[in-house]
Amino acid sequence: MASSSSSGLTFKLHPLVIVNISDHHTRVKSQAQPDGTSSASRVFGCVIGVQRGRTVEIFNSFELLYDSSTHSLDRSFLQKKQELYKKVFPNFYILGWYSTGADAEESDMLLHKSLMDINENPLYVLLHPLINHAQKDLPVTIYESEMHVIDGIPQLIFVRSSYTIETVEAERISVDHVAHLKPSDGGSAATQLAAHLTGIHSAIKMLNSRIRVLHHYLNAMQKGEIPVENSLLRQVSSLLRRLPAIESEKFQDDFLMEYNDTLLISYLAMFTDCSSTMNELVDKINIAYDKHSRKGGRAMFI
Amino acid sequence: MILNANSVDSLVTEIQALSSSSQDLLELHKRLKDYEDVIRSQAASFASCLTQIDPSIHSLGYLYILEACTVAPVPEAQANEFIISVVRFIDACSVEQIRLVPDKFISVCKRLHEQVINLNAPMRAVGPLLTAIRKIQASSEHLTPLHPDFLQVCLLAKCYKIGYGILEDDIYEVDQPRDFFLYCYYGGMICIGHKRFAKALELFHNVVTAPMSTMNAIAVEAYKKYILVSLIHLRQFSASFPKYTSSAAQRNLKNFSQSYIELANSYNTGNISELKAFVQANREKFENGNNLGLVNQVVSSMYKRNIQRLTQTYLTLSLEDIANTAQIDTAKEAEMHVLQMIEDGEIYATINQKDGMVRFLEDHEQYNTCEMIEHIDSSIQRIMRMSKKLKTMDESMSCDPLYLSKVGRERQRFDFDDFDNVPSKLNL
Repeated sequence: MASSSSSGLTFKLHPLVIVNISDHHTRVKSQAQPDGTSSASRVFGCVIGVQRGRTVEIFNSFELLYDSSTHSLDRSFLQKKQELYKKVFPNFYILGWYSTGADAEESDMLLHKSLMDINENPLYVLLHPLINHAQKDLPVTIYESEMHVIDGIPQLIFVRSSYTIETVEAERISVDHVAHLKPSDGGSAATQLAAHLTGIHSAIKMLNSRIRVLHHYLNAMQKGEIPVENSLLRQVSSLLRRLPAIESEKFQDDFLMEYNDTLLISYLAMFTDCSSTMNELVDKINIAYDKHSRKGGRAMFI
Repeated sequence: MILNANSVDSLVTEIQALSSSSQDLLELHKRLKDYEDVIRSQAASFASCLTQIDPSIHSLGYLYILEACTVAPVPEAQANEFIISVVRFIDACSVEQIRLVPDKFISVCKRLHEQVINLNAPMRAVGPLLTAIRKIQASSEHLTPLHPDFLQVCLLAKCYKIGYGILEDDIYEVDQPRDFFLYCYYGGMICIGHKRFAKALELFHNVVTAPMSTMNAIAVEAYKKYILVSLIHLRQFSASFPKYTSSAAQRNLKNFSQSYIELANSYNTGNISELKAFVQANREKFENGNNLGLVNQVVSSMYKRNIQRLTQTYLTLSLEDIANTAQIDTAKEAEMHVLQMIEDGEIYATINQKDGMVRFLEDHEQYNTCEMIEHIDSSIQRIMRMSKKLKTMDESMSCDPLYLSKVGRERQRFDFDDFDNVPSKLNL
């Protein structure tokens, strides 16, 4: 599996495909037997989309049955599905296939070759299902096949291609929604507020760490440990110039006044909370220790 | 046990030997407890060995011997020496050692307090007692029996500022109720001396509403001062008690301070001459309560009250009108009063001297400065700490068996939902 493809095609991947693949994998995994023999069963399917000139855009995907004994896909099912999709999306062609796993394997080449009769240059989209927190990028790789000469034998091998993510408006909304998973029951106001504030907190934390990295970098540059890089400096200075443009005194006054108002409100909230706790405490002490406070009234058991 | 020079020396050597590490100290502590009676009975001869042991390293032994000397009343002639030696000890002693025997330390300090008052030199004990309090306090929220003595000494010596410094700590733990009452009472008087009437009001309020099963002379005196300070500071007085006042206080306090309540009533009418006449008539009673100075301050605060009521009605007013409505004699005096109030920050106004008009303004605090942010932030922190403490207290109160037994008894006999036999009494 070699370095980068030289075919010159640009690939655009839609998030729907990624969601589909991950959904398929999750479903299969959760439906698997508890004492399942295969620790990580792979799932397979087809990707469909449009190829215009040198740009290949992958819009959608669907699942396929894989027969592990014969190492082949179910052809008739594939045909049926293809016809159905053709009716709805006349423009879309089968561009390739997908699977899950850590890396492309030798057996995948057989599948790849078998799909070559539908598309002479199929794509192989691979999703790595394990979550790696250190990795910042998506665990999705697109492979193409190329004829290379190895040990004197011409062979088809997989080469990695770069891709970009392309979204339609509807997809953006759904991805956004999935990213901010809200509790299923809607939650009380408190949990919603807590979720909202947690989101803000993590965003601010990330901003803080990024700024710290930049700061450290600029310091090192100033001390001369790193060679000065003007393009980066230009970017940093343009970023700084985008900071709040208003510096007048009136703004300062209004800003501080609003800040103080917010602080006062939280102070008031704490005050009320404290007063109510103290009120309950006083009631309890009166009941417990003061002999004549009740005067015949009945107390509620709080 | 017969005492001779040998046992004195042996004790000295023991103390010197066992004062190094904490296990040794515990050992020494045990042995000293055994020797206690011996030391007490022959205090005089032991006193001589005090010079041989160093108070900073051998505080525990020093303290035992010192305390034994103080059990008997100190004769006049030696009082001075005694005071000097105790002061030196308090300055030099080590904190962990004296915390092993706090009551002895406290009794020594109380002796110091007595002697100093007998000798009429309260100033000498102010510094030492402050150091003593800081050394024996478990935390700054803890009230020790030394607090009221210290405050009393400050009052007698008129060192209000130092006394006020101690009052700024919030107190959360109290050992003895009597200490608490005295602390708040003296504390209130120190605040009055320092002209911080708000804090004085708070402290007197604490005395009046503190839990007490029977009437308490300190509370009675405090209630009288509470009425007067409330009139001076808040310009009004409400005779109803908050619900956390003990029932003993609610029923009896008013009986003891009848003339003060009448003073408050006549204050509310706003008539200065009437108030003055009343004060004149009951002069003796106020003098007996040592409150005459406060009562005079009440009378002078009447002018301020009247002027303040004017700010709520008028936007601008001439000085003569102010003088007439507030029953002040001349416009010049009125101007003086208004100026004084503006300086103290009690009202916001500008005086136009050309035509003698006064304009009343709003509070111009805009709440748009960074200092205000810090101020509010520190208040929020304080209230968060207090909220945590309140919650723990509330929880511990809910588990209190006395509370649970009383509540169980008064529970409704039948639940609404089910008519099973709900037990009407919680057996604990």
